[in-house]
Amino acid sequence: MSSLFDQPFEEPRPEPAAAPARAPARRILTVSDLNARIRVLLEEQFIEVWVEGELSNSKVWNKTGHMYFTLKDATAQVRGVMFRSALRTLRFTPQDGLRVIARGRVSVYDQKGEYQLVCEHLEPEGLGALQLAFEQLKQRLQAAGLFDPRRKRPLPALPRKIGVVTSLDGAAVRDIIQVLRRRYPNAHIVIRPTRVQGDGAALDIARAIAAIGRVPEVDVVIVGRGGGSIEDLWAFNEEVVARAIAGCPVPTISAVGHETDVTIADFVADLRAPTPSAAAEMVVARKDDFCAHIDRIAHRVEAAMTARLHRSESRLRALETRSGVMRGQVAARQRSYQSLWRALESFDLRRRLGRVRTRLVAADARLTGASDRSRHRADGRLRATAARLEALSPLAVLGRGYAVCWNADRTAVIRDAARVADGDRVRVTLARGELDCHVIDRSHD
Amino acid sequence: MSSTDPTIKDFEAAIAELESIVKKLEEGDLPLETSLQLYERGVQLSRFCHSRLEEAERRIEVLNERGQLTRSENLKLESDK
Repeated sequence: MSSLFDQPFEEPRPEPAAAPARAPARRILTVSDLNARIRVLLEEQFIEVWVEGELSNSKVWNKTGHMYFTLKDATAQVRGVMFRSALRTLRFTPQDGLRVIARGRVSVYDQKGEYQLVCEHLEPEGLGALQLAFEQLKQRLQAAGLFDPRRKRPLPALPRKIGVVTSLDGAAVRDIIQVLRRRYPNAHIVIRPTRVQGDGAALDIARAIAAIGRVPEVDVVIVGRGGGSIEDLWAFNEEVVARAIAGCPVPTISAVGHETDVTIADFVADLRAPTPSAAAEMVVARKDDFCAHIDRIAHRVEAAMTARLHRSESRLRALETRSGVMRGQVAARQRSYQSLWRALESFDLRRRLGRVRTRLVAADARLTGASDRSRHRADGRLRATAARLEALSPLAVLGRGYAVCWNADRTAVIRDAARVADGDRVRVTLARGELDCHVIDRSHD
Repeated sequence: MSSTDPTIKDFEAAIAELESIVKKLEEGDLPLETSLQLYERGVQLSRFCHSRLEEAERRIEVLNERGQLTRSENLKLESDK
């Protein structure tokens, strides 16, 4: 407290320096008197002040419910008190490190001869020391190039295994599993449990990311946790986690807290999800899309091919009617055309249809479990695709008198007599029904 | 197995090739043989894609600190507690 004695407590009066100091009359005060007089002075002078500073050493006394604290800036500090009645009106919890603006009056604590700020209201200003640490790390990692957009890798169109790094105790893991199960029922999930808050959590998370990135076939990783205070989420603002994400061999999605929570992990990750559920959706939204997309393309391939064949067919007929001279040419074309139709049939659309039907049945089974709008839509698409495939099936040409000859277990179409032996069983599909036949004799063209 | 076809790199490549095939088929009046070859490849690719979509196995595994994987289907129930 030497500084109290080194400097005059009150501003020196601007008296002419040359004038000889007149000895004041000796008036002796008690300590109590002095403190009381100073108190009056301060209380009159500082009825209402606004003070800006960083909150530290804050402590709420159980007995009284009052909060005592120190407000400081880079070079000075002042003690403060906030009584329970005022404290109760705050919407946030004042925590050390927070930059605040305090409104109050100045008073003196007579027993100790200390003046203090009696705080009536507190407003957070920015987020104090934590925010500062956040900004400093952000700048450093940015300078190191960790946020470079060119570093961002695209997610796999179809993940083989989905890695998840989070706590087994939180809501996040449950949310992620539920969403994945609903949208991608055959998802293969690999979870690496980790602590997500508290001392050492950041190192734990970093190790978990490194470990899961090495699991074969894991080709995307979700790392995150559910919502919490800025301190709860803090591990995701630490450099060791940021470096682990940057070093992960497969694309990562950060999913920390709620939509409004932004962490350093979000800047480094290949993709930021607003919540853990949203991260799960980003990984599997693509399955339904791709199913529909493939079916659409497959349908267009069929349609284009069928149209192509019909064009040839009508040209062939035109040629036939136009000239008998060209009969030889026509016959050659007809032969090649017929062989193409046979080849087309041999692609075995029945098996493809069977596969689509299997998926339909599976989709139906899943639907009974969870009535999900998107699944209904997917199911509708599947039905429509199956119907189109059926309509386009070259098996329809059987109606025109062609037959398809299969091997005994109907896994391949027989195109060449040399592929069967005398006595082999073959199956012959007609427009109506099937024949189970034995080969008696064969001849080659 | 269509899903291990050496001529198909991966799912993304298969989709891209399928798209280029459908464009070619729809655009030009190609010779029948060429059309048919494209068609054949198209069917092969779409089979590959579908098999890849159904390939993944419904499964939850937990990776522990020693790097061991254990199956854990009742994880959801545990975390519901």
